[in-house]
Amino acid sequence: MSFLEILESTAFSEWVLTSMLGFPTMIALHSIGMAVAAGLTIIVTLYLYRIVSGIAEAHLTGFLRIATWGFMLNLVTGLTLFVPRGSEYIANVTFLVKMLLVLISATILVWLKSHLAELAKGSGEACDSVPARRLSLVSSASWIGAIVSGRLIAYVGTIY
Amino acid sequence: MGLEKLAWLADTPLGMWVISSAAIWPTLECIHFVSLCFFMGGMLVIDLRLTGFYREPCTRLINGLLRLVLGAFLVNFTTGVMFFAGNATKYIDNPAFELKLSLILLAGLNALYFKFRLSHLLTTEGVTGVSKFVGYFSLLLWAGVIVCGRMITFFAR
Repeated sequence: MSFLEILESTAFSEWVLTSMLGFPTMIALHSIGMAVAAGLTIIVTLYLYRIVSGIAEAHLTGFLRIATWGFMLNLVTGLTLFVPRGSEYIANVTFLVKMLLVLISATILVWLKSHLAELAKGSGEACDSVPARRLSLVSSASWIGAIVSGRLIAYVGTIY
Repeated sequence: MGLEKLAWLADTPLGMWVISSAAIWPTLECIHFVSLCFFMGGMLVIDLRLTGFYREPCTRLINGLLRLVLGAFLVNFTTGVMFFAGNATKYIDNPAFELKLSLILLAGLNALYFKFRLSHLLTTEGVTGVSKFVGYFSLLLWAGVIVCGRMITFFAR
């Protein structure tokens, strides 16, 4: 029996699959976390590309801090959803693509938050930072890709 | 709620089109969720200003975000209507869907109150008890909309 199958046979997995506080609540919280993390990252990207304007750059770090909390909610609920069906998900190519995209966007989110905090302390302007602009665009695009692949998990088949 | 009166949407060309190919429903879901993120991102920044998370005058920012939020809502609403037209029985007599519509209506009224009674605060550093309430209430309502949206499947007949 593989590790994932052991996880699937636990009482916790049973609870996630059968309780109204399990799968339905977790998937709802997962969506809220996604909307917060992706939504605020997209807004920061739009700001860095001067598509939206009129806010002090010092607040960008605050927005990304909230986005990080959204991601943490996403991560915890995502793990909860993964446990009872891990062996099914791990064989699904769309799920693996989603995980890769989430990893990219979350890594950039952490970097972007500290980079913008450094710029806010000094005299640099966030909009003038080419790495910040390009990587935030990659992060936003990855979030969108992760959302799309997340929606397609139920429709696209397994690798083997 | 009387949504059964809209069951005829299933027989319209739109309803037929939504279920005419296996690719259309998942594509609409993707568009619905991506536009939700644009919508929530904009709403969060607006509501955070109302709650006092940041305080400086920001009329230009909020006006820009309102255009984004309204555009995203329109996409969201349009894809939502398409879901209803494609599978009306899933939504009729569904308590989660009915609550979702009620929360959207309430959130809309809350937004109108902000627009007509509180938008003057954005020209100053003003934050009042009422603006904080409107901001937090809006966040709560939209979170409720997302929760109810995800619950539709679990309450479908």
